[in-house]
Amino acid sequence: MRHKTSFLDKLFVASNYIFFILMGVITIFPFLNLIAKSMSSEAAVISGQVNLLPVDLQFGTYSYVISDKLFQSAFMNSVIVTLVGTLLSLMMTSLAAYPLSKPRLRGRKIFVLMFVFTMLFSGGLIPTYLLIRELGLINELPVLFLPGMISVFNMLVIKSYFETIPDALEESAKIDGASNFRTFLQVVLPLSLPVLATIALFYAVGFWNDFFSAMIYINSPDLKPLQLYLKELLASANNVFLNMEMIDIDRAMNVSPQAIQAASIIVATIPILLVYPFLQKYFVKGVMLGSVKG
Amino acid sequence: MAPSYFKKLRLDVRKEWDLYLMLVPGILFLLLFKYTPMYGIVIAFKDFNIFDGLAASPWVGWENFEKLFQSRDFARVFRNTLIISVYKIIFLFPLPIILAILMNEIKNMIFKRGIQTVVYLPHFLSWVIVSGLFLDLLSTNGGLINKIIVGLGGEPIAFFMNTSVFRTVLISSAGWKEVGWGMIIYLAAIAGIDPQLYEAAKIDGAGRFRQIWHITVPSLVPIIMLMFILRLGSILEAGTEQILVMYNSIVYSVADVIGTYVYRIGLGQQDYSFSTAVGLFDSVIGFILIITGNYLSRKFLQRGIW
Amino acid sequence: MKKTITLLMLIAVMIVSACSGSGNGGKTNNNKESAAPTNNTAATNAPQPTEDVLAGDKPQLRQLQPFDRFDPNSYITAKFLEEKTGYKTTYEMLPEELPNEKLNLLMANQEKYDIMRLSKEQFFTLAEAGALEPLNDLIDKYGANLKAGIKETTWAAASVDEKIYAIPQGGTGIYAGTTLVVRQDWMEELSLEVPTNKDELYEVLKTIKAKKNVIPLTGQLSVMPEIAAMFGITSNSWIEMDGKLVHQAEHPRMKEYLAFMNKLYSEGLIDSEWPINTGSVAIERFTSGQAAMMSLAWWSAPAVVNALNRNFPDANYLVIPGLKDEQGNSPIGVNTGISYFMAIPKWSTNKEHAMNYMNVKLEEELFKELVIGQEGVHHKVEDGKYFPILPKFDEELNNASFFLTGVDESVYSTYWQARVRKDPILFNYFEELQRLAEGRFVIDPMSNAPPIASVSENSQKLSKFSNDTYLQFIAGTASLDTFDSYLAQWKADGGEAMTKDANEWFSTTK
Repeated sequence: MRHKTSFLDKLFVASNYIFFILMGVITIFPFLNLIAKSMSSEAAVISGQVNLLPVDLQFGTYSYVISDKLFQSAFMNSVIVTLVGTLLSLMMTSLAAYPLSKPRLRGRKIFVLMFVFTMLFSGGLIPTYLLIRELGLINELPVLFLPGMISVFNMLVIKSYFETIPDALEESAKIDGASNFRTFLQVVLPLSLPVLATIALFYAVGFWNDFFSAMIYINSPDLKPLQLYLKELLASANNVFLNMEMIDIDRAMNVSPQAIQAASIIVATIPILLVYPFLQKYFVKGVMLGSVKG
Repeated sequence: MAPSYFKKLRLDVRKEWDLYLMLVPGILFLLLFKYTPMYGIVIAFKDFNIFDGLAASPWVGWENFEKLFQSRDFARVFRNTLIISVYKIIFLFPLPIILAILMNEIKNMIFKRGIQTVVYLPHFLSWVIVSGLFLDLLSTNGGLINKIIVGLGGEPIAFFMNTSVFRTVLISSAGWKEVGWGMIIYLAAIAGIDPQLYEAAKIDGAGRFRQIWHITVPSLVPIIMLMFILRLGSILEAGTEQILVMYNSIVYSVADVIGTYVYRIGLGQQDYSFSTAVGLFDSVIGFILIITGNYLSRKFLQRGIW
Repeated sequence: MKKTITLLMLIAVMIVSACSGSGNGGKTNNNKESAAPTNNTAATNAPQPTEDVLAGDKPQLRQLQPFDRFDPNSYITAKFLEEKTGYKTTYEMLPEELPNEKLNLLMANQEKYDIMRLSKEQFFTLAEAGALEPLNDLIDKYGANLKAGIKETTWAAASVDEKIYAIPQGGTGIYAGTTLVVRQDWMEELSLEVPTNKDELYEVLKTIKAKKNVIPLTGQLSVMPEIAAMFGITSNSWIEMDGKLVHQAEHPRMKEYLAFMNKLYSEGLIDSEWPINTGSVAIERFTSGQAAMMSLAWWSAPAVVNALNRNFPDANYLVIPGLKDEQGNSPIGVNTGISYFMAIPKWSTNKEHAMNYMNVKLEEELFKELVIGQEGVHHKVEDGKYFPILPKFDEELNNASFFLTGVDESVYSTYWQARVRKDPILFNYFEELQRLAEGRFVIDPMSNAPPIASVSENSQKLSKFSNDTYLQFIAGTASLDTFDSYLAQWKADGGEAMTKDANEWFSTTK
């Protein structure tokens, strides 16, 4: 049975495309601006001459940034933390979300409340620091992904998704003799690819972007992750003041040029941007297709 | 009461012990990393000196809270916090949902994937950079927006120094930065909808908009409800990080929020007790709202977080 | 249901008490315990010869530094120091953001550092908290070079009640930092003379605005030193008037200054976005031809001049010598204070070696090579002045100052000038600035003050408050009629307490 595409419908489709093109334009232009700055001369950048295209084209900034040993170690640190952290977190979070998605679980309300409570209430920096210290994690790389292993928000999202999976699917597995754990692994998880991909993305971005943990728990310069390195690179321009009256003139003379700052941002952001396109293939409709029989 | 309860517990546990086992790692993690440090909340009720330690610091009861509520500008910053937060919820909460629904109507896969990757880019820029961008865009000395306004015959607007428009600047820039990213979770939810529902609807003669209204939207209700309730929990966090880099004393009257105010009056003092007290205040309010939100959601939508 | 809650809470409480028991309790005890043994060690060591303590293998020292954006552990200066002194030092850095918070955490947990390079604020906090080792004995025994190289007045700034708690590093010398510069080509075009006082400045700005339709003066500071000096306001904090200390906020001519700035603002003679500008915006406006005048710091000179010439090859800047007040004076406020304090925490196990290490670094030849390298390789000497040999100087010595833990004040400022000479634009502008600044320096009387509680607690917050309010006065969003109520608030929020305590200390220095 064919339905007629009305004029209104065609108009809608066209406007939709135009709308998203506009959205794309206004969200991409600052990146184009940054890329342009990173490939322009410092003189052009600080006098505001750079808009969307490089001025006085040069690539020295990129080789400078990448050849900085501190940048390289920071980059590696971030890659390791993000990969390990995302994998670990995804496993732990979905594992915890499954039982909590079952209404028949005794004490479910309490358990969920226990999780939600920690979203709002926290002991604060000082007791947490003490704990990390007691665990021997100060200045050790795992401190960058262990304490953040389960994000309650992410867990709730996965739980919410699990709750939409029809009971019938799980029942049929149970009838065949599968335990809860096997049902989880072999039935539920494969059906949850969109949400798992999403949460993997959330965790990956979360770990990649985190600088605060490193700021507090890491002391050695070579264990710093990329975002902390970057933040400090950018801030050094504003931070030459020792106190209100005095300037550290040696640092003032070494302020990193804006073109290099721009290049650093680009290099630190590109890797994580590649994750989403990679995961997009899991956002496919029809994952449930064929799984409901009769 | 007790014996029968335990009997029930044991029964379920015996039958479905693996369900509880699956929960153990998560609960252990929670207890270790979140609940062990929880005693730090008492810092809010003490005059804390980090070098003396928690035990040796004197108890001061509600003093830190009084300091907050009685501070000169508390009424103003509290009001600003609520106003900005509510505006953000009203204008910015629905946007990613609408965008996800619209995006779902795009059929060209290449275009779809491309645009999705582009619109979430601003999320990755720090507020320092985004603030600089908007300052430039909205400048009265050569900024693009004012050029357009003047070109159309108007007077230039000093966006960052105008108390009537500054909140709009805050909300718009926050929207620009986060809307693309916020879309992702709703797109994932839509991806989980059974296509057979759409097929069946088409067969019944439903057009595009009816399909959206009767299939897409209802399927999104669980995730929308979750996101909304959680959003309520951070109602007193009106965007401190953003506002700190974007505001200035000229617009304090409309943009100074609890977070920025506390930051300023605490400069150079390292008063952990006070900042912990403020945080506790935020948390309590947020928690009450989440509980209320969940209760109402269960009552009217028959579903909640727990 | 209830039983589950009870069970869980029991577990939680057990874990909590286990951790807090060992954590906090132990810590509080440690703080007091470490005080006793240290004193004993010093007492028992006193009669014995130096060699005994320092004999044997040199331990590895752990040094905590403020933030910088290079890896000190792999930098050439670190290797140089290890070679020459025999001490291997590992460096760790505080973060750029929240460094004080992190430092407090590290100190409260007695992290084993041997040397810490602290800012004034950090030094004050830790000295007050009793975390620092008094260094008098150590300096007497192992710090001969330090004693000789650092002046009495400098030592005084790091002392509380006769006890020295850190090695103070000052000594780069007194320099002028900024001055106003204006577009030379425009001044010539409009046949304008360089202004020398308030009224002439006003006229020049007016003419520029009328004829060139650009922003006459761009900037961002609420108290712009070049203009404030015309009203006698020479410091961001303390000024001596009639033998007493007056804080900038209470300066009798502050209102006048603000009125003048407000006048300039309302007539469009200064940048309309003054309250929201940053330093880099001012540079952008000037170098892109949108503004005629700005305050240029010598460390920014090369970048600005290059940018200006890129966009306008025929343009140049003209330096405006100090604008004078009614008496013809043009004071420049400077702070001769300490940039860094080198402290040793009480619980360090290598105190003697730490002091020895810092002392050895001040040996004449070593110190010179540390700061400016080898003659003929990194630097050359002309007329008693030091000039860098590029690019070697930049490659190997750019970050050398990071590694300093105290300087020989008699030679450091001469050596340091080699850094300024590494770029001709930088150098020319710098020399010009200093030449114009001769005889005009007014030293901040609190430069070398020791820690004063009410001052360190209140200065930052009050300073922010004042600057915020000044910007409102300048932009006209707050009327100057409310100045008195602002000042009353300033006093009530700690300004009065600060002034009283500062003056109490000040009277003891007379």
